[in-house]
Amino acid sequence: MPDPTNAPTNAPAAANIQGNPQPVRFRGGGFNPRRHPWAALAAFALLVALWEGASRVGLASPLFLPPPSAVGRALAGMIADGSLWLNLKASLLRIGVGWSLGTLGGLTVGLLMGVASVARAVGVPLVSAFFPIPKIALLPLFILWFGIGEASKFATIGFGVFFPTVIATYSAIDSVPRNLIRMAQSFGLPWGAILRNILLPGALPGILAGFRITASIALILVVAAEMIGAEYGIGAFVLMAGNLMQTDTLLAGVLVMSALGLTIGALLSLLERRLLVWR
Amino acid sequence: MTIARWTRRTLLQRTAFAGVALAAALAVGPQPVAAQALDKASVGVLALSSSGPIFIAKAKGYFEREGLDVTLSMFTSAQQVPVAVASGDVDFGVTGLTAGFYNLAAKGAITMIAAQSRDEPGFPLSAYVATNTAHAAGLAKPSDLKGKRIAITTVGSTFHYMIGILGQKYGFTVKDVTMVPLQDVPKMVAAFKGGQVDAILAPSTVARQLVADGAGQILGWAGDETPWQLGALFTGPKTIQTRRPVVEKFVRAYKTALAEYHAAFNVKDASGALVKGPGYDALLTIIADATKQKPEIVAAGLPYVDPNARLLIDDVVNQVRFWQSEGQVDKALDPKSILDLSFIGQ
Repeated sequence: MPDPTNAPTNAPAAANIQGNPQPVRFRGGGFNPRRHPWAALAAFALLVALWEGASRVGLASPLFLPPPSAVGRALAGMIADGSLWLNLKASLLRIGVGWSLGTLGGLTVGLLMGVASVARAVGVPLVSAFFPIPKIALLPLFILWFGIGEASKFATIGFGVFFPTVIATYSAIDSVPRNLIRMAQSFGLPWGAILRNILLPGALPGILAGFRITASIALILVVAAEMIGAEYGIGAFVLMAGNLMQTDTLLAGVLVMSALGLTIGALLSLLERRLLVWR
Repeated sequence: MTIARWTRRTLLQRTAFAGVALAAALAVGPQPVAAQALDKASVGVLALSSSGPIFIAKAKGYFEREGLDVTLSMFTSAQQVPVAVASGDVDFGVTGLTAGFYNLAAKGAITMIAAQSRDEPGFPLSAYVATNTAHAAGLAKPSDLKGKRIAITTVGSTFHYMIGILGQKYGFTVKDVTMVPLQDVPKMVAAFKGGQVDAILAPSTVARQLVADGAGQILGWAGDETPWQLGALFTGPKTIQTRRPVVEKFVRAYKTALAEYHAAFNVKDASGALVKGPGYDALLTIIADATKQKPEIVAAGLPYVDPNARLLIDDVVNQVRFWQSEGQVDKALDPKSILDLSFIGQ
C-alpha cells in the first residue's frame, strides 16, 4: 500500500527536470471496500425503530404487521417455556442428517460425473430431468415410500440438497485449470495423486459455494419436510402459527429461521477460510 | 378496497337511491330494481356444497331483489376466507370455524352474523375412518379412538375440534390421542393407505372412496356423534358500522336461500328418512354447477342448515373454550363479543 503523502508524483524523470517534486494526493483506491462494522447494525436498528414506530402510531395494524416488541415477546415466550429449544433441536437434526445424506450422495455422483465422461453423459440429462421436480409435490409419495416418521423428512431435505450439490461438484471439477492437470500428467503423477492434489483442492472453492446454496435450500425445505406429521420443529411451528393466524408467533419463528441461516453462513465462511488457506 | 371509496357523499347518494328503490319495490311488490341502483358487495366462499345457500341466492337473483350486486370470490381453503374479510378484500365470508378464525375475530377483524351449515344427526359430512389393520385389531366404534394415531389436516382445524368434542363426549382429551397433522387431504390419504396412522377424519366423499378402494372402514359420522356448528356467515365490524343496510339486505337474501335450501334438502318424513323437497332438482343443479361436481356426488354430501340461520351459540362458546384450553386462542376472548346476531334476530 503506497503512502499517499510520500507518493512520487510523476515518473522519476519528471522529478529530475523540476528538481523539487510537488506532493500529489493518492488518487487510486476510490472504490476499495472498507469495513463499516456499525453501518449494517445501524441500518437494522433504524428499520426496527421505524417498524415499531409505525405500529405505535397506528399506521400498521398489529394483525397485518405485528410490531417488533410483540415479536420479541413471542420469542421470549418460546425461550421461557422451552419450546424454542425443543423445536430447534428437532429441526437441526433433520437439517443435519438430510443435508449430510444429500451432500454425500451429491459429492460422490458429482465427482464421478466430473472425472468419468460416461458418468457425465448419463448424469447430466438425468439431473436436468429430476432437479426441477418440486419436492413438495412429491410429499404424498414420500409418505408412501418412507412413512411419516423421520425418514421421509430426511429424504425431502436430502433430495433437495442432492441435485444442486451434483451440479456444483461436477462443474467445479470441470473448471479446474486443464494445464495443471496436463502438467501433472506429463510429470507422470499417478491418477490418485492428481485427484488428491490437483482436482479436489482446485474444485473446493466451487464445492463450498455449492454448500452455501444447499444449506439455504435445506433450511427452506425443512418447512416442507415438517408438513409431514411433525410434532416439533421450527418449520412445523411456523406452519402452525400460520394456520392459527398468530402473526406475531409466525414472525418469531421466521426470525429464528433467518438467525439459523446467518449462523450456518458464518460457519461456512469459517470453513472456507480454513480449507482455502492455500489460495 | 370498497370502504375507502365510501365518502359521505356517495354514502348519502346510495342510501337515498336505495330508499327510492325500496319504496318503488314496495309499491309494485318484490321485483328486481333498476341495475344502476344496486349496491356492490362481495362474498368469499369455497366451492363446496356447504356454500350452497350463497350459490342459490346468487343464481336465483335474491341478492338483486334486495338491491345488491354481489360478486362471489372463490377460495381454495377455509383459512383464506376470514383473512380476505379481515384485509377488506371481500365484504362477507362463509366458511368453517377454525382456531385461526377465532384468532382473527379476537383481534377485532371479523364478526359472525349468521350460521352456515352444521353437523347434524342423519347428515353424513365427516367420517371417522379406520384402517383395515386397526379395525381388525378392535377399532370398531368412534369411542375406541382414544389412544390411537389419527391423521388430521392441521392443528387448529375443524378436524382437530371434532376430535376434541368426541373426547368430551367419551371422556378423553386430545392429549389421549396422537394427532398427526399432514396439511391436506391427499397427504392424509397417503398416510392412511400406507398404514402410518390408525384412523383419519375425512370428508364424506373421501371416506366413501377409501371404503370403495377397500382401504378402510367407516366407524361413524361426526354429525351423529357430536352435532356442532360447522360454519358461519361473517363480515368485518367496520362493514357493520358503516354499511349496516347492505349487511341487512345481504342477510335477508341469504335467509331466503337458506329456507329454500332447507325445505329442499333437509326435511325428513315421519320415519326419519330424508325426502326431496320442492325444487330439489333445480337447486341441486345450481350447487353442482357452482361446485363443478356431479349432482349425485353433491346430493350425497349436502349439509344441514338452520332455515332461520340461527347459530348453535352454546357450541360456539364451547369451541372458543376448547381452543383456549389448547392454548391456541387468546384466553381473554369472550365468545359473545365476536357475535352480532341482530341481523337474524336471534
